[in-house]
Amino acid sequence: MKFFDMLKVLPKSLWVTTCNSGSCNGCDIEIVATISPRYDIERFGMKLVGTPRHADVLIVTGPVTKFMHSKLLRIYNQMPDPKVVVVVGNCGCSGDVFYKSYSLDGPVDNIIPVDVYVHGCPPRPEAIIEGVAKAVLKLEALDKAGEPQGEDVGDSVLERVAL
Amino acid sequence: MWNQLETGFGYWNVFVWLFFFLIVSGFVLWVRSLGRMDYKRNTDQDEIYLSGNEVPEDGAAISVPASSSYWGFRVAMEPLYRLLDRFHSGNASDYAGYFVVTTALIGLLILL
Repeated sequence: MKFFDMLKVLPKSLWVTTCNSGSCNGCDIEIVATISPRYDIERFGMKLVGTPRHADVLIVTGPVTKFMHSKLLRIYNQMPDPKVVVVVGNCGCSGDVFYKSYSLDGPVDNIIPVDVYVHGCPPRPEAIIEGVAKAVLKLEALDKAGEPQGEDVGDSVLERVAL
Repeated sequence: MWNQLETGFGYWNVFVWLFFFLIVSGFVLWVRSLGRMDYKRNTDQDEIYLSGNEVPEDGAAISVPASSSYWGFRVAMEPLYRLLDRFHSGNASDYAGYFVVTTALIGLLILL
């Protein structure tokens, strides 16, 4: 196997970052459970990273409060292409019991494009792992297509671009 | 001008050093070229990540300076610091003047 063919294995390791857009923390605890020794998703190369600038996958929890709207947009826009978004938990998927709240701008797909929905309150770690595995397929498809994902979403693009 | 320098353990030669510098530079540039170049310029993708928050123009607005760890001391001594700040003009002639005056005062004390 040639050296650069060996390097092609690396893009299949997913680097994941999370954004809590107003969650009760239940989903986040389950996400942490997936990296704990029982599930240990890092053995598959899935690694939680602290910055969206290194991430391929954005996991969003929570129903997106008005306060978090701009933050979520900015985090999404700071991720390099190709990128996929996984929403974990009923709140992010639909707003759940908070769907009529005056303080929400969500659910998540009102703000940014979502690729995978993982339902549950909170979902089990197995479901989250399955969701991220589906994100792998989506990411591979995007990678093969090699097409740019278009412009940034929302109003978070820097003002100097508009000028 | 470019003599070889014998160190006792070996030698040091500027041309050998430059040769290895070029090799290392080439290696560093090669590693750098393997990095991602597909960030979109002039978008959020090349902006500083600050947990999703907007990066303020003035970093002091959100930073916690080291002096915060001795905040009480700093506030209690503020009159003195304000006085010392006035002395601190940034002009080297002023500092030379302080030195001369202080030396004269100490000399006077010693003589008396």
